[in-house]
Amino acid sequence: MISVSERDYITKGVDVSIRADGRSRLDFRELVLETGMITQASGSCRVTLDGGTDILVGVKVEVGSIEPEVEAEEADILEDMEQMDQDDGITMVKDKDRGRIICNVECSPSATRIFEPRDIEDMCNEYSQFMNRVLNGSHGGVDLKALCIIPGSTCWILNIDVLVLDYGGNLLDAIFMATRGALHNTRIPRATVEQSDGRVEFDIADEETEIIRGWEDVPLCVSLNKIGYRHIVDAAPLEELCSSARLTVAVNRRGNLCALQKGGHGGIEPSLLAEMVQTAKQIGQTLLKRQDAALREEEERIAAGKDPIGFGAASRH
Amino acid sequence: MSRLEIISPEGLRVDGRRPLELRRVNSRTAVLSQADGSAYIEQGNTKCLAAVYGPREPTKRAALLHDRALINVEYSVASFSSGERKQKLRRDRRLMEIASTIKRTFENVILTTTFPRSEIDIYLQVLQIDGGALHTAINAATLALVDAGIPMTDYVCACSAGYVNNQAILDLNYLEESAEIPTLTVALLPKSGKITMLGLESRLHLDKLEPVIQLASDGCKQLKENIDATIRESTKSLAKTILQ
Repeated sequence: MISVSERDYITKGVDVSIRADGRSRLDFRELVLETGMITQASGSCRVTLDGGTDILVGVKVEVGSIEPEVEAEEADILEDMEQMDQDDGITMVKDKDRGRIICNVECSPSATRIFEPRDIEDMCNEYSQFMNRVLNGSHGGVDLKALCIIPGSTCWILNIDVLVLDYGGNLLDAIFMATRGALHNTRIPRATVEQSDGRVEFDIADEETEIIRGWEDVPLCVSLNKIGYRHIVDAAPLEELCSSARLTVAVNRRGNLCALQKGGHGGIEPSLLAEMVQTAKQIGQTLLKRQDAALREEEERIAAGKDPIGFGAASRH
Repeated sequence: MSRLEIISPEGLRVDGRRPLELRRVNSRTAVLSQADGSAYIEQGNTKCLAAVYGPREPTKRAALLHDRALINVEYSVASFSSGERKQKLRRDRRLMEIASTIKRTFENVILTTTFPRSEIDIYLQVLQIDGGALHTAINAATLALVDAGIPMTDYVCACSAGYVNNQAILDLNYLEESAEIPTLTVALLPKSGKITMLGLESRLHLDKLEPVIQLASDGCKQLKENIDATIRESTKSLAKTILQ
């Protein structure tokens, strides 16, 4: 819910490129990134956007069969994937030599009281499906073939569980940022395949681990919100309420466009659309650079054996 | 009994603690932006986040109480929190039971009659489990309630204790909990020493009950000092921002 005067204030501010928190239209908020705080997970990352949004991602790897058991939920994902492949015009026959990524976005009830629980559930489902499509797609980055243990039978499954701890606008961008960070942090046990008299067996090492190949190529999302005749990046909760349309663009470090999704009820003019995609691409590149720098710092911190700060920096008083 | 040695001949436990030692506690308040009060607590490797909303108008009109506030507790566990990944069920009975236990624990402590016809929500999110999730969640809820400024007669502090090798041990971790050691969880009001919650889910000799409860109570009192220090510190920093 937003009042008429609030809406007016925000729209006029966006028009002259001054937003309520002092940013200009295309400024991204300060972000804090931390990895490896959940020791029980194979990889974890927490991303906090200044003034709200707080995302925790935990990746758990497990050994599974390449042919997914047809469970209700997984069948949905598979169907979606097939549909997408048809849309792309790529004939990705169900490859028997690939691992899988299963994403699940969950919103902790503590995160917000603005929305109805049912709306939150819908939103989480939409984000989960979007992530599943992007990460399992041809430009998802992660080398799915490297996740295969025995072609045709066994593979690694990456369970990416996203937990929204606090809502402060622009969830999707933060979710992708945290996911990429968590994949950077993930270590998979080394699996060695042995062939003995016709039978293929594999052995999982206790100590040796491998990184996820291709995490660098995982795209980041940039969501642009159209307010009035202008568009802004990294919207705060009030700005999201004023926005007439949202455009989410996923870009990877090569500058390729990996996914595009339009949300919201308003329309976007074709000329503006092109401009928005261009802007998103540029912002995506700077975001990727910022994140890579932050991840390098994290690597140094972990190498130095320092404990993560956890929720230390987050006190808001 | 598992083969695992719970207390070594030198008198040390699996994680290097002495039998009567608590795990490292690390807590903070006001960690979330949207909630009226929030807190984060780490007891060893068990990590919990709590958020309190309210007092406010009840979302369900039917649940409204005319003489006091309604307390609503939701307890959830992150799917990556434990060793095995668990898919979250929509209505997990175990989680619901824990939530109602916590609700009952707090109903007597919060001055609910101050806010008739309103609702207080306590949301607990366990991020990582290494034993003692219930008592960690109760401590987190206490911190978040104080942070939200909800009047209470006292803190509620909770701790667990077990009994093994003729010795009571304090604040069990996951390995100890899963080794079939009788584990007792106690929540008490430190000022009066009254016990508000007590749970034991395995066999323990009646003669041993008293020392185990005593040990858990001592643990609660130690935790109270810890929680109190966190609250005093956050209040000081809050006062500073007001005086500026």
